[in-house]
Amino acid sequence: MATSVIMPALEMAQETGKLVTWYKREGEAVTKGEILMAIETDKAVIEIEAEASGTLAAVRAQEGDVVTVGHVIAWLLAPGETAPTDVVQTVSGRQTTGAPPQAQAVAAAQKPAGTGERALLSPKARRLAAERGVDVRAVHGSGPGGAVVAADLEATSPSSEQPGQAWRMMADRVTASWTSVPHFFLTRDVDATGMAATRARLALQGPNEAGDSVTYTDQLVALVARVIGKHPRLNASWVDGTIRYHNEINIGIATAVEQGLVVPVIHGADHLSIHDIAKRRREVIARAKAGRLQPADLAQGTFTISNLGMFGVDAFSAIVNAPQAAILAVGRIADRVVAQEGRAVVCPRMTLTLSCDHRVVDGARGAEFLRDLADGIEHPENVSVAVG
Amino acid sequence: MPETPQRELTFAEAVREALAEEMRRDPRVVILGEDVAEAGTPFKVLSGLVEEFGRARVIDTPISEAGFTGVAVGAAMTGMRPVADIMFGDFLTLTMDQIVNQAAKIHYMSGGKLKVPMVLRTTMGAARRSAAQHSQSLHVWLSHVPGLKVVLPSTPYDAKGLLKTAIRDDNPVVFIEDKMMFRMKGPVPSDDYTIPFGVADVKRVGTDVTIVATSSMVQTALGAARMLEDAGISAEVIDPRTISPLDRGTIIASVKKTSRAVVVDEGHLQYGVTAEIASMIADEAFYHLDAPVKRLGAMDVPVPFSPPLEDATVPTEEALVDVVRGLFKKT
Repeated sequence: MATSVIMPALEMAQETGKLVTWYKREGEAVTKGEILMAIETDKAVIEIEAEASGTLAAVRAQEGDVVTVGHVIAWLLAPGETAPTDVVQTVSGRQTTGAPPQAQAVAAAQKPAGTGERALLSPKARRLAAERGVDVRAVHGSGPGGAVVAADLEATSPSSEQPGQAWRMMADRVTASWTSVPHFFLTRDVDATGMAATRARLALQGPNEAGDSVTYTDQLVALVARVIGKHPRLNASWVDGTIRYHNEINIGIATAVEQGLVVPVIHGADHLSIHDIAKRRREVIARAKAGRLQPADLAQGTFTISNLGMFGVDAFSAIVNAPQAAILAVGRIADRVVAQEGRAVVCPRMTLTLSCDHRVVDGARGAEFLRDLADGIEHPENVSVAVG
Repeated sequence: MPETPQRELTFAEAVREALAEEMRRDPRVVILGEDVAEAGTPFKVLSGLVEEFGRARVIDTPISEAGFTGVAVGAAMTGMRPVADIMFGDFLTLTMDQIVNQAAKIHYMSGGKLKVPMVLRTTMGAARRSAAQHSQSLHVWLSHVPGLKVVLPSTPYDAKGLLKTAIRDDNPVVFIEDKMMFRMKGPVPSDDYTIPFGVADVKRVGTDVTIVATSSMVQTALGAARMLEDAGISAEVIDPRTISPLDRGTIIASVKKTSRAVVVDEGHLQYGVTAEIASMIADEAFYHLDAPVKRLGAMDVPVPFSPPLEDATVPTEEALVDVVRGLFKKT
């Protein structure tokens, strides 16, 4: 008897399938189990075996055609047979040729083609899987006879969310950086006594007229902006095989907002007073939290600072904010015991981790920058940071 | 809902109280059947009624079920509210023409001009060592017939409330009591209360599996539920109380909650009450089911006289537990 070749339903919610390739030509002999065709669904291209031996005939779907699942797209004929016509002829209510199209559609819907076995699936699990778009073939069944039951679907974390545009951009950017930028990391523990004292002194003066009190991040932006001028490789980018130095020193501040990670930039930070940095920082971060950043707020950054000290993080490694050459990860300031002149001394310490693009910065250059930065943190009097 | 009473009655006493209260309330209510008067039936359900209401209202009949059932149908058509007593449910077969072709049809065939407000009280249930002709549960025969209402009380409380509703109903009602429950005790208010037909009772609340059980199988289900609780399975037990009309909504809502269903009834499995309810569940709750709907019933053999064999034909708590656990087991 002639065997129909149907567009198989390979997924729960699949309504149509695209015929990608016929591996056999019309009139060619096919053996049961041979790869007959390739079908594309939303998720994959799957090769389908012939369910019977015979001659491929009456091919109705061409490569590239999108066909409703369950529809007959060809026939496999035994010698002497002809393909049934499109209209199923009936005599006295009986089918004379082929199976009724509806029956074929049902068979197709029930049988995941390409696999001989049909996975046992409770009706409830079937409904839930369809509603949630879960591929049940990957789910381990714990019900009677190994059937997939509703609880098995619960166990496969049906909870998911579509991230917003900002989050997806972050995902793309960190992936691009992590997979294309050769990272290396330098860690240095610094004495934060001077920074803490400076901050306390500025706090005693009170906030400026705009109400901007100075944070450690502001201090670090000011210090980095001044130190980096002597380390141009840290303020550069790898662009198509060349090292491009940046004229401006624009320090980005990695900022977590609900929608994802953003990096608003303090432009020309090397020329700004500590209070102007604080003012500018307050403005851009307020816009970031409100989701109202302007493109200019994010553009032209040349170096980034990521401070997680306020979350109690001691130290961490950041992903370079490409195409920038380096990023500084800042841990919290906390009292620790250190050896000074042969004695155990308690003082506020902070751990800095510099992540570098090795194509632009080598270990020695990164270390020199970090040394000078540490020196500026520990001896702020050596660095000219305007306070007014 | 009446106040919760402290008073407990046996199932037989609850039936008797319902009859007595209705006979006091309505002089048209009469009882007729074999050995219903001085003997008070072999199960002593009716003891004392003839003393209060006299032989004119508690009528001993000849041994002729077809005859006195026909008398009851005629009495009902002409204004009485008879309660005919069929000693053993097995003898329902003798009354079939009167019940199926007459009582169930007259209201329809008379275009509503006649009604048959009668009750046919009878018994069901095996395990009394009474052999094949006195142990059957034939309630499904009557459930098949439109025009009849079929009531299966499972507790003394339900027996009293449902029987009073049956007597006050203007349609023929078949009221079937499991012989094994007559001595079962339970709280029964002395108030005049009725229980509507077609309203299932959730006898036990659970979350993991719905056990729909009728008549004495409700107690089996409750016992199984206690055993299942020890195995970490929370079973909900639903008693339809009337299988015609059937409270589909309560059953379906429960199955949608638990995703698993077992139906147990003491009639034979083949073409049984359980088949009707299981098919309804498969139809109306299909996409909520996490396992096949299972049925338990009497084995499809004449009820044996041999006690070990008889016991083997009836669903037990252990058998029910096994079936339920099978719905959760991987193999």
